Amino acid sequence: MTRRLRIAIVDDHPMVAEGIQSILESYDDVEVAGTLNSGRAVIDALDTLNPDVILMDLNMPDMGGLSATEIVLEQRPGTRIVILSMHDSPEYISSALNHGAMGYLLKDVPTDEIKQAIDTVMRGERYLCTGAQGSLTPKSGGARETLTGREQTILLQLAQGQSNKEVALTLDISVRTVETHRKNIKRKLGISSTAGLTRYALEHGVLQGTGVDL
Amino acid sequence: MGNKLEFRTIAGPPSVVDAICRALPFTRYCFDHGTDSSYRIDMTLRWPRLYISYAQKLMLLASVPLILAVAAIALVVAAQSRALAEREINALETQLIEAKKAELRNYVTQARNGFYFIYGSAAPDDAEAKQRVGQILSAMIYGEDGQFFVYDYDGTAIVSPRETERIGRNLRGERDAEDTPVVDRLIEIARSGDGYHTYLWPKPSTGVPARKIAYVTSFPSWQWAVGTGVFIDDIVASVATSRAEVEARVQRTFLYIGAIALIALLTVFATGMGLNLRERRLADAKLKKLTQRVFDAQEEERGRVARELHDGISQILVGVRYALDNALRRTKRGDPSAAAPLEKGIATLAEAISEVRRISRDLRPGVLDDLGLGPALRMLADEFGERTDIDVSFSTVVFRNRLDNDAKIALYRIAQEALTNIERHARASEVTIDLRGHKRGATLRITDNGIGFSPKARTAGLGLRNMQERMDQLGGQFYMHALPGEGVEIEATAPLTHMLSPDPATSPPESKTPPIKEDAA
Repeated sequence: MTRRLRIAIVDDHPMVAEGIQSILESYDDVEVAGTLNSGRAVIDALDTLNPDVILMDLNMPDMGGLSATEIVLEQRPGTRIVILSMHDSPEYISSALNHGAMGYLLKDVPTDEIKQAIDTVMRGERYLCTGAQGSLTPKSGGARETLTGREQTILLQLAQGQSNKEVALTLDISVRTVETHRKNIKRKLGISSTAGLTRYALEHGVLQGTGVDL
Repeated sequence: MGNKLEFRTIAGPPSVVDAICRALPFTRYCFDHGTDSSYRIDMTLRWPRLYISYAQKLMLLASVPLILAVAAIALVVAAQSRALAEREINALETQLIEAKKAELRNYVTQARNGFYFIYGSAAPDDAEAKQRVGQILSAMIYGEDGQFFVYDYDGTAIVSPRETERIGRNLRGERDAEDTPVVDRLIEIARSGDGYHTYLWPKPSTGVPARKIAYVTSFPSWQWAVGTGVFIDDIVASVATSRAEVEARVQRTFLYIGAIALIALLTVFATGMGLNLRERRLADAKLKKLTQRVFDAQEEERGRVARELHDGISQILVGVRYALDNALRRTKRGDPSAAAPLEKGIATLAEAISEVRRISRDLRPGVLDDLGLGPALRMLADEFGERTDIDVSFSTVVFRNRLDNDAKIALYRIAQEALTNIERHARASEVTIDLRGHKRGATLRITDNGIGFSPKARTAGLGLRNMQERMDQLGGQFYMHALPGEGVEIEATAPLTHMLSPDPATSPPESKTPPIKEDAA
């Protein structure tokens, strides 16, 4: 390894951020590129941080970890994101993975797991903290993948009749990213046409109350 | 409302203008126009704003038509009875007068027949015969004022037994109180045969003018007008009395109808007020009970949390403190075994963290705020299935966090309550939970295949009432369908107004609960 891994820590609790930072500083092959206190902050600082891995808290004011994960990945698809959380329920874990995170780490795990998680995701593998792996598939069925916040937004705009280009312009992302999202939406809903998407949105109350004429 | 601004300029000394402005109820503003003493008044109609409650509106709705109907009935009844009475009175009057007339005619005919033997055989200038007839007629007085009168065609009174001063006087041109020449008219009628005349004449007994009717016929060869008259003031008086009676009766009718209307109105008002009072008392009682329940629940919850904090977390943290203390003391002594209590402290802290996590999740599942209702329900379903060994299937559409906080919490608590009921009472082996958005909002439906219950035997337990109240609070709908042996289905629908736009550009509406941190997830 020629250069040290750049790690960004995003957490609105300074004690936690400092704690993780001091733990990571005890390793030689990683450096902490910065600690930030919100999803918005990390998105704004992406270019200067240039992180390999982001350790992202789930609950933060001014954009939480899941939304931030989606947007970071839209802008820098290669970034590895590990969600830090106090919650151990499978819903959180599957949500995190659904939004594109590579890892999920409980904050109260033994500290050496943090480095372990970073190494695992850098190898391109998922890292789920101890005890989380087994609880991934919900037992109550209906396991169709949920749309992410971004995907819901894009579905609404497509259902309103906007083109890929218009959506890309509104959300300040590339047309290719919109296309990827669109493909994912269609896959998740099992719908192949745009008209089908509109109908689906209409029938499930997505368009209602959004100022769109029905 | 005439909200168009209208101005009138009036001139006058300030005090006068001011007084005018105060007196005009419809002026909103009155102000100095600036130049000399001319003022402008805003003449816009200033309607008094009426704040009418629903109950008052109902009351008005009930009483106004009642008043109108009663008034109409009263007017019609009055008009009808007046018309009827008038017809009867007129008929009576005519009848009475006709009777008088016939009577008069009989008197005169009788008299004439009585002395026809004199008149018939006498020459036109037989003064003796005239005198004898005159004497006979003079003697034929009757009643209080009854008398025969004779005027010759020139107007000279020949017979007038009760007013002897008239005898021998030429009374042509004498007029009654209504300015009609009485004697001339009588002579005129006599000349043309016979007939009746009505006029005013002083009653000989009292001297007061009264209406009198006279029948007059002629002794043509003597050129006499012979007749008699009676006063009909008694008829006039009795007719007037009848009219007064009718009027009194009509007024009495009015009074009765008015009284009935008043009683009806009072009944309406009393009933309305009684209902109002009852409703309010019921509402008050309900509110009091609800408040008590809220307090009780709050107190219970606080007690539980306090106990858990004290018995659980505090004790664990005290343990950590001892361990750290121990480590510190060993470190100060240079004892290399300081790591052992530190490790113990760290392990105990992990215990504290998981304890906090458990308590906080029991209080309010973070997943509800962080990920939305769908994931929270799924978690609830999974935990329920694990705990009870009941087969739970959960289905939802792929959208998430489309509901505002109030709706999310309400539906989550309803699901919790429903599952608790199923666990306690239903003896079900399968439960399905379904949550989906649709054109009118979002609906949560929970069904089980348990023993169900009879809706009649339903005691409306606290749980069901809570569910109903939660949806009422939300402006949503709550249905429960239960039959013995057929399980229970509950359905709670949150209205569209509680659905958020999935578009993060539009901010979610304000909610009573603090804003959630995770915005779009």
